[in-house]
Amino acid sequence: MTEKTIYESMVERGLSRRDFLKLATLMTAALGLEYSQLPKVVHAMENKPRLPVIWLEFQDCAGCSEALTRSHDPYLTKLLFNDISVDYHETLFAAAGKQAEENKERVMDEYEGQFVLVVEGSIPTKDNGVYCTIGGRSAIDLLEEAASKAMAIISVGTCASFGGLPHANPNPTGAVGVHELVKDKPIIHVPGCPPIPEVITNTIAHVVLLGEIPELDALGRPKAFYGQTVHDRCPRRPFYERGQFAESYDDKGAKAGWCLYKLGCKGPTTYSACATIKWNEGVSFPVQSNHPCLGCTEPDFWDGGGFYKSLAAPPGAEAARGAQAGFASLGGAALAVGSALYARKIKQKAAEEFKAQKKKEA
Amino acid sequence: MDWLEFFRGPMFQIALLVFILGMVYRFLRIVLMGWKKDYSPPRGSAAAGVVKTYVKGLGFLPFLPPKFPGTRHRPLTYIAGGMFHLGLFVVIFLSTPHMEAWRSVLGFGWPTLPTPFIDGFAAMSMIGMIILLSNRIVSPVGRMLTGLGEWLNWIVVFLPLLSGWVLYHHLFGMPYQTIFAIHMFTVDWLLIWIPFSRISHFMTYFITRTMHGAKFGRLGVEP
Repeated sequence: MTEKTIYESMVERGLSRRDFLKLATLMTAALGLEYSQLPKVVHAMENKPRLPVIWLEFQDCAGCSEALTRSHDPYLTKLLFNDISVDYHETLFAAAGKQAEENKERVMDEYEGQFVLVVEGSIPTKDNGVYCTIGGRSAIDLLEEAASKAMAIISVGTCASFGGLPHANPNPTGAVGVHELVKDKPIIHVPGCPPIPEVITNTIAHVVLLGEIPELDALGRPKAFYGQTVHDRCPRRPFYERGQFAESYDDKGAKAGWCLYKLGCKGPTTYSACATIKWNEGVSFPVQSNHPCLGCTEPDFWDGGGFYKSLAAPPGAEAARGAQAGFASLGGAALAVGSALYARKIKQKAAEEFKAQKKKEA
Repeated sequence: MDWLEFFRGPMFQIALLVFILGMVYRFLRIVLMGWKKDYSPPRGSAAAGVVKTYVKGLGFLPFLPPKFPGTRHRPLTYIAGGMFHLGLFVVIFLSTPHMEAWRSVLGFGWPTLPTPFIDGFAAMSMIGMIILLSNRIVSPVGRMLTGLGEWLNWIVVFLPLLSGWVLYHHLFGMPYQTIFAIHMFTVDWLLIWIPFSRISHFMTYFITRTMHGAKFGRLGVEP
């Protein structure tokens, strides 16, 4: 099948060579690549045919898709929807029902081993996956079919990456992330609840454009966006160092924009570009808006011990800990009294024996 | 549950309980050993003696090194020991994350120091420990006085300091959670180890001082 390249489809839409090069330069920067990589991007856009993206949604809230539509990088978004084609997306699709499903099947067969599969939402595994079905088929079934034909998989959002909210204790549906079920395909994690829109678009663009997996960290996240913690890039970091903390949401410290560490900020353990790329066209991000980071790009962030509890405080209920400490003290005391009494008894016995011995001798 | 959650959660809780149980046992076991009866009339106040020994021991002598005979004879042990103890105290009680951990256990908090100070005290503490260890290794008397327990004590105390330092400075490019988990693991082991070792002198020191102070204050006669 002969497909137009991205460059050709741009020329068709009336863009000049100059526009194209500008876009390629922007893309290079957006992908987190060095300027020296520009020719690589240009070459890819000139020669690669537009590749389809299939976007599957399972146990999710569609928040990641919502985020995607709010990407403030118009070039990337246009690129994604005009030149890289998203051929199946339940939420954004105008079509529905049988025709939409048929289209998906067609794309999967035509582009077998070439398309990029984006997954949003976790996959329930309990009771044969009955807790999430689309068109009468379970999420596990749909994922396995699509994954077997895909070139690579991008797990968008914390649910698809690590199980997310549905995976939270007690995990009634047995929800898992994609990597727990699919073992034989490259998987990129783009966690976040939702992820930063630009991080979603940039990661998809990277894979589709360059046909390669970006450099990943230990948890499978692109290093370009998940290389540093929120804490390390936080504009409130100097207050942390100076020991100036907000103690409540309406005290002097909160009004002065001091560090939110004591209010439960998870910035130090959370790898994300929130503090640099920010949200809503770079307007703000949670900490800037006076709310602690929840740590949404990390596995099991729902079960981390409480959003509003300091990171240094061990998880678990304080009352239970107090009661257990009380019992431990009582146990220690009982042990000490018992052993002291026993020692005294031995001492007395020895003294009596000594007396008896002396009497005998006398 | 990942390692970090385990070492911060259940393992920390177990360590804390072992620590509490062990220290309560040690404290009561010493107190319940009993006191010898003092038959002579006291020649001074026992309470005043206790106060005096704490003022001297904690508030006065450490800041007047030349007056203390130990300083003249073993300056290295005295200075490095001071660096280590003061540094450790500041790191454990006056750094914000540690105070938050205490607050979650005790239910109340207190003001803390800015991180560069804590950083400095932690460095001072570790340098003090390295000097003390080197001294022990080099000195033949030190080597003879040191058993397996003492070598282990050094390691068990040094590791939380070192891992905390690596954690704060993001050294070796390790993910924050990994080194945080290692830090918590070393802290858990320290807590478990304390009641079984001579590190429990953080408590028994006060028992000894109190007893000696009372004895010297009272100036009675024991048969």
